[in-house]
Amino acid sequence: MTSAAHTDMTLDLAMDLAQASFTLAQRFSTGATMWCIAPACSPHAQHIAVEFVHPVVVGKRALPAVALTGADLVGQVRLSARAGDVVIACAGAGDPDVSAVMQRAAAWGVTTIWIGNGERPPIGAADHVLWLDDPDPTLAATGEFVLMYHLLWELTHVCFEHPGLLTSSPSVCTDEVCITCSDEGRPAEVLATAPGGTASVRTAQGEEDVVTVLAGALFPGDLVLVHAGMVISKLKEV
Amino acid sequence: MTGQQHLDEPTNFLYPFIDGNERDSGALLADLATSASLKAAESAALRRSTLQSCSALVESAGAEMARRFATGGRLFTFGNGGSSTDAATLAALFAQPPASEPLPAWSLTADQAVLTALGNDVGFDLVFARQLIARAQAADIAIAMSTSGNSADLLLAMREAHGRGLYTIGFTGYDGGAFVQNSDVDVCFVVRSQSVHRIQESQALLGYQLWSAVHMQRGLQ
Repeated sequence: MTSAAHTDMTLDLAMDLAQASFTLAQRFSTGATMWCIAPACSPHAQHIAVEFVHPVVVGKRALPAVALTGADLVGQVRLSARAGDVVIACAGAGDPDVSAVMQRAAAWGVTTIWIGNGERPPIGAADHVLWLDDPDPTLAATGEFVLMYHLLWELTHVCFEHPGLLTSSPSVCTDEVCITCSDEGRPAEVLATAPGGTASVRTAQGEEDVVTVLAGALFPGDLVLVHAGMVISKLKEV
Repeated sequence: MTGQQHLDEPTNFLYPFIDGNERDSGALLADLATSASLKAAESAALRRSTLQSCSALVESAGAEMARRFATGGRLFTFGNGGSSTDAATLAALFAQPPASEPLPAWSLTADQAVLTALGNDVGFDLVFARQLIARAQAADIAIAMSTSGNSADLLLAMREAHGRGLYTIGFTGYDGGAFVQNSDVDVCFVVRSQSVHRIQESQALLGYQLWSAVHMQRGLQ
């Protein structure tokens, strides 16, 4: 028997949920759609989507959330998600599809939330990691994940009662050296390569043509760093 | 990132440039975290009390399910909305468990062609009953998951299932609704709460316990 129901939620997880909900409310306020994936347990993706689209509490806003299921989830999210959107995944840290989506999130300009248990994803793998350390592989069927996304929904709607806090974009430059404005190595995903050492790439700012002579052979789907119109390196995928 | 750090410096990670809002969003985040902790504690307490009050029923239902699986019985699960996804998660736990022996189980919401054909042609109330008419045999098991116990499609499916000799298990919430004292429902698990979310969280754990009880019984057989 799993012990999850007998342990209290850690303060860290409660704070992670608070931050994820606040970000989610900000994104929804600026028109985001939330794309939900759970490769090994797709009902969780569908539960998250129905929760936001058709709230159980009468009078709460219906919000755009969509479950993506079936083959080629990476391709489905690539096609579906626009810059400013949110991707939420329910999966173990080793899930290859979810890892590939999370690593592309910066190039696509999407905010990410990753729910799971057991071994944690690498630090920084997602913007918000909502994690239970209990490694029991049956934990996904005990209601612990359901609790997590129920709370995400409940707290997100609390944030809507504070519209003044939802308007500012956290992506505005505040650092002394702004990585975005100084064009210091922005992540991008290769869309297509062209003869003569150029390629079109997707970044959080949109589609761009870049020079690839420094990077060697590139293929569609490769992740790269772009600086001043040049691909300066190919990113290794974990 | 530790939670405490964010509580002490509430807005550093978000709005270090807007002094006027700094305190406000920090207060909101602290409130949200407190609310998450309280709701999680409420959920855990309800799950504990539900497991306690249902433990004998889980044992006996698990024994009957194990007996039926042993004689070739199969499991059909169904529900509406979020409960349909919880029913699908439960069917997957039986059919594709991470380590245990798989047992034949299906969610009746898995095929949208069948669902929409039935919904369109004979009415939504019959989307599950008609599938059971086509598929179910007397040795099988039906699990209906609901938070109200009052959904017409589930009640009709339970009537059909019971009439065909299936073992029928109802999950419900609030005061149990029409699943309670219903001759079509052999076993009724009521999660006594007024919150749909908390009810579903407890029902998921009850389903997990039922699955555990089935495997315990199969080990004894």
